[in-house]
Amino acid sequence: MTSDWKRPFLITPVKPSTKPRCLYLDRTVGIIGALAAAGTAGIFLWIIWDLVRLGLPNLSWTFLTGEVEEAGRAGGIGPLLVSTWWILVCCLAVAVPLGIGCAVWLSEFTRRGSWAGRWITGGIDLLASVPSIVFGLFGMTFFCQVLGLGFSILSGGLTLACMILPILVRTTLSALEGLPSDLRPGAAALGLTRTTTLARILLPTALPGILVGVTLGIGRALSETAALLFTSGYSTRWPQSLEDSGRALSVHIFDLAFNIPNGAANASATALVLLGMILVINFTATTLADHWMRRLSGSRL
Amino acid sequence: MKSTSRISVSGLSVRYGAHEAVRDVSLAIPDGKISALVGPSGCGKSTFLHALNRLTDLVPGCVVEGSIRLDDDLEITAPTTDVLALRRHIGMVFQKPNPFPQSIRRNFEIPLREHGVDRKEIPAIIERCLRDVGLWDEVSDRLDRSALQLSGGQQQRLCIARALALDPKVILFDEPCSALDPLASGVVEDHIAALRGRVTVVIVTHNLAQARRIADELAVFWVRDGAGTIVETGPASKTFESPTDPDAARYLSGERG
Repeated sequence: MTSDWKRPFLITPVKPSTKPRCLYLDRTVGIIGALAAAGTAGIFLWIIWDLVRLGLPNLSWTFLTGEVEEAGRAGGIGPLLVSTWWILVCCLAVAVPLGIGCAVWLSEFTRRGSWAGRWITGGIDLLASVPSIVFGLFGMTFFCQVLGLGFSILSGGLTLACMILPILVRTTLSALEGLPSDLRPGAAALGLTRTTTLARILLPTALPGILVGVTLGIGRALSETAALLFTSGYSTRWPQSLEDSGRALSVHIFDLAFNIPNGAANASATALVLLGMILVINFTATTLADHWMRRLSGSRL
Repeated sequence: MKSTSRISVSGLSVRYGAHEAVRDVSLAIPDGKISALVGPSGCGKSTFLHALNRLTDLVPGCVVEGSIRLDDDLEITAPTTDVLALRRHIGMVFQKPNPFPQSIRRNFEIPLREHGVDRKEIPAIIERCLRDVGLWDEVSDRLDRSALQLSGGQQQRLCIARALALDPKVILFDEPCSALDPLASGVVEDHIAALRGRVTVVIVTHNLAQARRIADELAVFWVRDGAGTIVETGPASKTFESPTDPDAARYLSGERG
């Protein structure tokens, strides 16, 4: 008989029972989690339901293509869709190259922790926390007045570009920094220039991450009201050029809900259109990213 | 020093800031042979290897002093050396297989196009190099699939093939088998050994048995006075049998390190 003190177990094993108490704890935590998830989904569904209930009866082809009548109470949102589209185009045309360029420089051409990199990332984070109304004021004084662009689609787009720049830089930066660290020495050892490495290896691999950033930026830009109020203006006419004033959908919703009596129904219909646009853009971006990854990796899932 | 040396290193020191990783190392690397660099961790083997094709340039604050000559006519350490062309002549295979996360074909096309190889010649080069590492029969029907779908050993052989595609004079191997399982490691080792006579091979390895199997020349690195240096060098069989340095002797016999 071996002496008892040599036993390797410090805790006396408990005989397993069919109803261990830890099961109840796990079950409770699971139920709380499920309730939280249901609540989140519920809020989302409620918003959609409300929009559909109020807006769907007004939604029609003529609503999408028609001109704004009676300050929005009647007619459609045709010119606003065109204005919104061009504001978005201006915004992305400036913000995407600038944001990706900045992130590439920070990630590939500065040393980690250099003072320039620290200052710029610090500035970008600060920019991200600036309220959009402040961007609106800046856009009004700088683009509209100093640069003389006036209330125009261009001014609005440029203001939004400043606003979504931090999102683009941050997501592109984290996509590039999240790449496997052995890609760069591997490419260098094959005698590839840094430009080739960037264009043929790093950016293609990081593209899905960058697309997420662009999608978030588009979502932010489409939903922005405050920054556009004083920059792209209120005009509900069909825009003839980028120098025309043009009302974005979000501004229209704000105006209908806030300033126009009996505008709520059309506000909901417009919101429904805006939501649909964002969903379509999100879906397209995810599909593109998936497709790209599959093409790059050649896998057939 | 007219000789059959492919690379002649003399008085090489490498510093990372204040830390001296390699001090005053001289070594002649003979053409077409397999030279193995062995020694305990942190004794400067990898740093030495990275200096040979200037990958030390990628490390901020890294200072290289001394002379490394390729074929007695190109001074590798000179600031005016065309580093990208140099790396075409001196390729490298890393510890962890690092194919680009793209198709097998693209893994060859990107470097070959960069060095101006005609598009029409590329398929033949891919086939030749994949055959050289015994991968052709395994992957010839899926060249457009991702290189990341290959097993670790296959990926490492792909990396060797990719290095071979540029027709280098020298290939540097930085512990090429240490991330692989024993079987895959054996296959990769056989293909490295098969390069003898065609390409000059410099291989860093922690596996003394592997060094004994494939090396023609052996250099033992050791830390002396806080910096890595070579304490023993010579033909592999002779160095393994009768090393003169006491540390190297204990290390090679398996008593220490």
